[in-house]
Amino acid sequence: MVATISEQNSVSVAKELAIKIEHLNFYFGTGELRKQVLFDISLDLPKGQIVILTGPSGSGKTTLLTLLGALRTLHEGSLQVLGKEIVGLPDKALIPIRRNIGFIFQAHNLFESLSASQNVETSVELTRNIGEKRQLAVDMLGQLGLSDRVDYKPNALSGGQKQRVAIARAMVNRPKIILADEPTAALDKASGRDVVTLMRHFCEEAGTTVLMVTHDNRILDVADRIINLVDGRLESDSDLETQTSRIS
Amino acid sequence: MGRRVSVAWMNLLHERTRLLVAIAGVAFAVLLIFMNLGFLGALTATTTNFYEQFNADLFLSSPETLEVSTTTAFPRERLYQAEGIPGVSRVMPLYSGYVLWRNPDPPHTSRAMFVWAYNPDDPVFLMPELETPSARRILQQPNVVFYDLRSRPDFGSSEIGTVTEAARRQVTIGGNYSLGGGFAADGTLIMSDQNFVRYLSPRPLDLVDTGLIQLTPGANPERVVRALEQALPADVDVYTKAGIMLRDQTYWISSTSIGFIFGLGVLVSFVVGIVIVYQILYTDIRDHLPEYATMKAMGYRNRYLFQIVLQEALLLAAMGYVPGLIVSLGLYELTLNATAGSLPVQMNLSRVGFVLVLTILMCSVSGLISVRKALSTDPAEVF
Ligand SMILES: Nc1ncnc2c1ncn2[C@@H]1O[C@H](COP(=O)(O)OP(=O)(O)OP(=O)(O)O)[C@@H](O)[C@H]1O
Ligand SMILES: [Mg+2]
Repeated sequence: MVATISEQNSVSVAKELAIKIEHLNFYFGTGELRKQVLFDISLDLPKGQIVILTGPSGSGKTTLLTLLGALRTLHEGSLQVLGKEIVGLPDKALIPIRRNIGFIFQAHNLFESLSASQNVETSVELTRNIGEKRQLAVDMLGQLGLSDRVDYKPNALSGGQKQRVAIARAMVNRPKIILADEPTAALDKASGRDVVTLMRHFCEEAGTTVLMVTHDNRILDVADRIINLVDGRLESDSDLETQTSRIS
Repeated sequence: MGRRVSVAWMNLLHERTRLLVAIAGVAFAVLLIFMNLGFLGALTATTTNFYEQFNADLFLSSPETLEVSTTTAFPRERLYQAEGIPGVSRVMPLYSGYVLWRNPDPPHTSRAMFVWAYNPDDPVFLMPELETPSARRILQQPNVVFYDLRSRPDFGSSEIGTVTEAARRQVTIGGNYSLGGGFAADGTLIMSDQNFVRYLSPRPLDLVDTGLIQLTPGANPERVVRALEQALPADVDVYTKAGIMLRDQTYWISSTSIGFIFGLGVLVSFVVGIVIVYQILYTDIRDHLPEYATMKAMGYRNRYLFQIVLQEALLLAAMGYVPGLIVSLGLYELTLNATAGSLPVQMNLSRVGFVLVLTILMCSVSGLISVRKALSTDPAEVF
């Protein structure tokens, strides 16, 4: 397993990187209560790669995701997102970086008061593309198989449909990076499968890098690469691309 | 299309029951504020409504006088000086004070009665009962007075011909009029300046309590006031009718508790409004915390969340103000009818504007207090 890590590194040097992490440490709390959660993480994610992050509960997966999403300020090591160093940046400077990233949460976190389309439009509004926002939102929902649900409120949608709206919201601006935390946890097997297949399809097309945390063994096959985190340390990193020949 | 999704509007509409409660709450606070201001305004008006019956455009009064019933007298000479100013057509000295009035009916208790006195040839008052030549003749008779029908009943009979005592001298009621004494006097009399000297001796007529000035038609009151202020020494102030009413009202509002009571009423209503709107907004924000956090994770700045909450607050202000105003208008009408006009509650444009501003302020304050909750959400906590 250790061998595959170095092998992977040598492969990816040639490719452009979406995320580059070097010797990253992260702590919760301060003073006596300070507790290290991530230990000396070094990891490169090339553009367009679809990566699944697994690991036992409490190992730091969600924490790592929030760091990559520029949701927390960082002080130790190096973390470059789309070529921009994030370590040491103040909270305010992190906000524009977030706009290049699509987030998908375990809970869909849609505004109950807004229709599916309006929820997606709130994302488009960030890009000042306000004139076409409705069109963009409807197109995106259509590609996710929700053409006949664009004006439904979340209450009137099934769990899988809600999660697809959330995915539409995350992807409508064609972000370079998608970060997803157990996006299928609240779904049954079939809709979970649908959701990740759709994600895979879009990200391949748009060259989006995906980092997805999941406990769901049934969907591991959508990944190009699987990373395992244990107790805040990278335990293993297996590149499926090199093992199975991909047709693309 | 092309407009931003109004998250504020959609959030409010989404919870219909909560929206209705919020509107009712704001409307209630608006109503309470209007009623307090209405009563305050009406009571304030009753303190000085007798001024309406003065047949004068400008007034002279000592700077030491706080309101018309407790005056510091000033030299009559000032009125003669004023007479020379262009625009002044007539000056009239007015004397005032209290006499002890003996109730002509048993048990003959004596009470302080307020007296207006002037030369009966001067048209000081507008009341029709005083304008006739016979009324003037009666006023000129010694020891005869006119009696105010709006005096409290405990001063006794108001009947013409009634004989009793004022300041231990015999007095006859020679006529009636209807004026009222505002907050200053429970009962009033009108008598000639000559009688005034008798009843309030030793009181020289060359010291005047209030000076009344009539202007020539077409004269600009403001300009004449300025000219008078320049010409006259500092022992008199010059007022328009509205000005002297304001002086007296200011005195009554600050010296009695009415200003305090109704001011407090407005304040309490305002705070009640803040609390209601705060409750509504806070609940709304709390219900949407994950969504707000998600918006932050998407790259929205705090400013945007701030706008949403403030917009919700302002929408509530607008939606609550209108029904509040409408119901208040109804209640004003009702009060006016129920008190047969003695409590003249009336809406005016400046109050409509003032309460609107208060309502916006009220909702904004609630918005500002509750928005902190939304701003403090940590986008890292929604994963
Ligand atoms: N806000 C926080 N403050 C302090 N400690 C935290 C906080 N969030 C997480 N932790 C701790 O950090 C460690 C990693 O948590 P994290 O949520 O990243 O784990 P995870 O791998 O996502 O687990 P799970 O699979 O259960 O979601 C845990 O020990 C957790 O208790
Ligand atoms: Mg987690």
